[in-house]
Amino acid sequence: MLKDDSPSVPADPTPNFTVDARESVVLSPQSPFMTAVVCIGGLLVPGLGHLLLKRWIRAALLFSSMVLMFLIGLGMQGKLQILDAGQLISFNTLQWFANVGIGIPYFVAVQMGSGTGVPTSQTFDYGWAYLLVTGLLNYLVVLDAYDIAQGRKP
Amino acid sequence: MKLSHFEALTIFAALVAVVFAITTKSTPRAQVRYGVFVFFSFLLVAIVVGWIMYPFPF
Repeated sequence: MLKDDSPSVPADPTPNFTVDARESVVLSPQSPFMTAVVCIGGLLVPGLGHLLLKRWIRAALLFSSMVLMFLIGLGMQGKLQILDAGQLISFNTLQWFANVGIGIPYFVAVQMGSGTGVPTSQTFDYGWAYLLVTGLLNYLVVLDAYDIAQGRKP
Repeated sequence: MKLSHFEALTIFAALVAVVFAITTKSTPRAQVRYGVFVFFSFLLVAIVVGWIMYPFPF
């Protein structure tokens, strides 16, 4: 066992590590309330969690990538699944879970009557995949925002 | 919206690569390198799998 790995060595109270030869990053954990706000905000609007953590460029890139992907999915006549309360144990529920991950854009699209899906369209399958992956990616983005808020990632 | 199969694949790879790079790497340099790697990996795997499936009629 390395000496630094020994339990007798006290943990460094201020997480501080070097990510580049010339750059030292001090991680700043947020309060539990702020962490919750970041996660909920990120679930509602893609990239909002990063925006609240003042990661402007990451937030802009994430928002534009995911909203663009969502719009392309709708444009390719993909289908947005609506939760069927009478048949919760089905693949449709999993599809709904993936679709709803994008947050407010999902509800706006459903309210506007978009995302009904046209299975006879040549691009239906690709649109369907775009819409599924966009929602799932947003869950990943929320986890990333959570890590930043917890001080695990710069 | 009418996109060809390859156009849809390329746009998908680019957008997913951006998200993967941001969520998995910490520094801008590492993010760019990983994003480029993911993008070209998506394209390469899709083309290779497409050719593997080509001889099969089902």
